[in-house]
Amino acid sequence: MNPLAAPARTLTAAETDAFGAELDALRAETLADLGQADVDHIRRMIKLVRYTEVAGRALLHFGIGPLTFAVGTTALAASKILENMEVGHNVMHGQYTWTGDPALDGARYEWDIACTGDDWRHSHNYEHHTFTNVLGKDRDVGYGFLRVSRAQRWRPAHLAQPVGAALLALLFQWGVGAHDLHLDETLRGEQSLAELRRRGAPFAKKAAWQLAKDYVVAPALALANAPRVLAGNLFANLARNVWTFAVIFCGHFPAGTEVFPVTSIENERRGDWYLRQLRGSANIEGGRAFHVMTGHLSHQIEHHLFPDLPAARYPALAPRVQAICARYGQPYCTGRFAHQLGSVAKQIARNALPG
Amino acid sequence: MLSRLSALPRTAWSRLFLDRQAAFWLAELSPTLAPGERRARVVEVIDETADTKTFVLAPGRRWPGHRAGQFVPVEVEIAGVRVRRCYSISSGASAPGAATIAITVRAVPGGRVSPWLHANLRRGSIVGLGDPAGEFVAAPSSGPLLLVGGGSGITPILAIVRDLAARDALGDVVVVHAARAADDAIGAAVLAALEASHLGLRVIAHRDAMEGTLDAAALLAHVPDLAIRTAYACGPAGLVALVAAAGPAALHVERFVAAPPPRLQDPAAPVSIRLSRSRRDITAAGRGSLLEQLERAGETPKHGCRLGVCQSCRCRKVSGIVEDAVTGARSDAPDEDIRLCVSIARSNLELAL
Repeated sequence: MNPLAAPARTLTAAETDAFGAELDALRAETLADLGQADVDHIRRMIKLVRYTEVAGRALLHFGIGPLTFAVGTTALAASKILENMEVGHNVMHGQYTWTGDPALDGARYEWDIACTGDDWRHSHNYEHHTFTNVLGKDRDVGYGFLRVSRAQRWRPAHLAQPVGAALLALLFQWGVGAHDLHLDETLRGEQSLAELRRRGAPFAKKAAWQLAKDYVVAPALALANAPRVLAGNLFANLARNVWTFAVIFCGHFPAGTEVFPVTSIENERRGDWYLRQLRGSANIEGGRAFHVMTGHLSHQIEHHLFPDLPAARYPALAPRVQAICARYGQPYCTGRFAHQLGSVAKQIARNALPG
Repeated sequence: MLSRLSALPRTAWSRLFLDRQAAFWLAELSPTLAPGERRARVVEVIDETADTKTFVLAPGRRWPGHRAGQFVPVEVEIAGVRVRRCYSISSGASAPGAATIAITVRAVPGGRVSPWLHANLRRGSIVGLGDPAGEFVAAPSSGPLLLVGGGSGITPILAIVRDLAARDALGDVVVVHAARAADDAIGAAVLAALEASHLGLRVIAHRDAMEGTLDAAALLAHVPDLAIRTAYACGPAGLVALVAAAGPAALHVERFVAAPPPRLQDPAAPVSIRLSRSRRDITAAGRGSLLEQLERAGETPKHGCRLGVCQSCRCRKVSGIVEDAVTGARSDAPDEDIRLCVSIARSNLELAL
């Protein structure tokens, strides 16, 4: 479906309220239906994370030859991706806090990545999900250095952004980890060095331990196999970085997604908030395994409408959301992975140039 | 520097996520090995009456021991949600790491947990256990005793009698066991057997269906020397009040029933809120969410989106009723998490803030 074919119909206040009420009803219906199957799913995912990690690390530590290296690295990368996306991101949204299981408590979960859980809960759960795609409010729009929409003011530095985006892809977890430090504000002189240090201390500590885990402790335990383990960990981390970058950039930056001026959220009604989430997000089509490996962020639209519903529910909700959107004449931006990714690349290249 | 070095193993343990790895792999080996949680295995299920079962539990090495008459929080997962209820331990006192303890549970019609326990717990099932607690315990040399249990309120009394029997301390004990009918009397056979083997124990079986509800005259007729006895009463409020009015030398009471549910109020009515962490009491008035009311009262609770999205303002509601402003769903059970920004106060509240 070409999202640009059907421009969004402007809704009256009454229509906006009705649109919001329909989505509220969908949310309430799902909340009332939460139960054993949801908990079983997330525990199965945690099990998968643990078993793939042990399998991956065992193959790297004790294996010989390139085949076990490749399989081990792939298993470890899959484990890291699942832990970050399907488990960490979703649990930290509070999607499973209702279970009362301390291991699934959104306020306490710490994911296995350079970014601290608390920084993430602030910059993502609060800032990004509340002010989604609002210029000057949502720091996820271009992450402070990329121009992803013509509505952003062009600066000469944007000429280099295709290279910048490629570097970010390789180092994505470090970009995510440093995101809540507001480094760009310090560079512009809007944030003091002392404040940066205060913000950065927990991140620095976590980052050091993350580096130690994969690049010191694990290789040391492998003795003679140390170089192999180090390389395997490095490739697994790179693979996770590139994968999460690709999925997340497809969530808000393909053609068909909108950004909003700060005035748009003045006196925003609940229905308006839903509309903004919808218009600012894009889905990726794919099979069940694909959705799981993206942490169901391939259902970015449903995730932004219902960030606290268990993500594994999104595929079932999607056709119903799409039907509601169709009735209210609202676009629903979705496409194959390659298509959305190509669209993002085009946006980054196009917006590197002025105009 | 030295203190940081000595803390290094601990720090590394959690920073390298070894704590989470250990928890997962131990639980994979056996659910009772999961660190940080005390889990017991059901070793036997005994039918006591038509609606009451005794679950014999192996509480494992982490069991801290308990005194006869105490209760224990029992945690199970029902439809994916962990729920906790307190049950009296009906077996006598236990030592740390004891092999078994027993809880005796009446299935409360319409209840959420007790009917589930009856339907689902069998040999081999796993339940979580909290710390045993409660002051309904008999002192070792308490002189003449009167133990009154009504309905399922007999369960802690059974524990006390078993304990006294085990310590050969049933010197002068009267048990008044009130139940609706003979087939409804939990532990009647146990009490009868103990009475037969201990001269100092007298058991009075009062069956409402035959003799009518126990009253003051009947109680005094059964126990003429009530005034010199230290009494322990557990059961319906009427029965406990009866014992209190009869004037024993001293009275210990166990209340099974939770405090009555708070009164539902109009959303606009002012409510008083106890903030249990900061130990402040405030009055919340005017329309709006709890977050807005708290802010108007000068509080600064942690919050974010104010839309019910980001979970920053999630906090524990200790007691009271709140309503979700979006879904209209009510939270009226104690100890539930709520989000302040989308919760409307519907009664006096206690919040863990």
